[in-house]
Amino acid sequence: MKVTVRFFAHLKEEVGIECEQLELCAGSSINDLVEALRERYPSLRNDEKYLIAVNSVRSKLDRRLAEGDVIALLPPVSGG
Amino acid sequence: MIKITREDFSVDEVIKSLKKREVGGIVTFVGIVRGESQGQLVERLEIEAYEEMAVRDLEEIRRTAIERFLVEEVMIVHRVGDLKVSDNIVLIAVGATHRQEAFDACRFILEELKRLVPIWKKEHILGGRSTWVRDEPTSAS
Repeated sequence: MKVTVRFFAHLKEEVGIECEQLELCAGSSINDLVEALRERYPSLRNDEKYLIAVNSVRSKLDRRLAEGDVIALLPPVSGG
Repeated sequence: MIKITREDFSVDEVIKSLKKREVGGIVTFVGIVRGESQGQLVERLEIEAYEEMAVRDLEEIRRTAIERFLVEEVMIVHRVGDLKVSDNIVLIAVGATHRQEAFDACRFILEELKRLVPIWKKEHILGGRSTWVRDEPTSAS
C-alpha cells in the first residue's frame, strides 16, 4: 500500500524533503513506518521527540495504516 | 473564525466583527515578532504550519473555549511565511458578556495554541545564524 509522509520544520531540513510517497506492506503500523524512515534517514534516529499525525489526527504508534494515509512527523511546536 | 494566512490582519476589523448585543467586552491578544532573542538581534522570523491540522486544532480549541468559558465568540488568526521585527504573528479575540470570561478564555486559547497546534517558528539572527524555536516557556509571547 502507498502512504504519503510529510516532514516539517527542522525534520524537513534534516531529511532534505518536504513530502514523499512510500510503499509499505499491508497491515503496517506507524511503528513499522517509523522504523523504515529511520533506516532511510539516519538523522531521525537522533530525534525522538516528534509526534505522529495520521490524516491530521495525532495517533499512537501501534495504529495500523491504510492505503492513501497521510502521515506527518511533527517536531515540538512553537506557534503563537 | 479561524484563519491561517500569509497576509497581515486588522485588529480593528476583527473587533468590529465581534460586536453584537450580547457582548460587553472584547479581549484581544496580539503576538508580534520580538527583535531580540536570548541576547541576540533578530532579523526576521519564518513561520511554518501544517495548515490542515492547525486549522482543525484551532477549531477544536475555539469550540472548547466557547463551551468552557461561556463566551460569545472567538476569532483566531495566525500568520505564516516571512515576518519582520514587530510584524503581527497571531491574533486572538474573545467577545463575552463580561470581562472575566473573556480574559480567561483568551489566556486558555493562547496556552493551548502554544502547547498543541502544529506551527513552528524559525528565528533568523542578524549576521546569518538561524534556529528553529523550541520549548518556549509559557510566559513568553
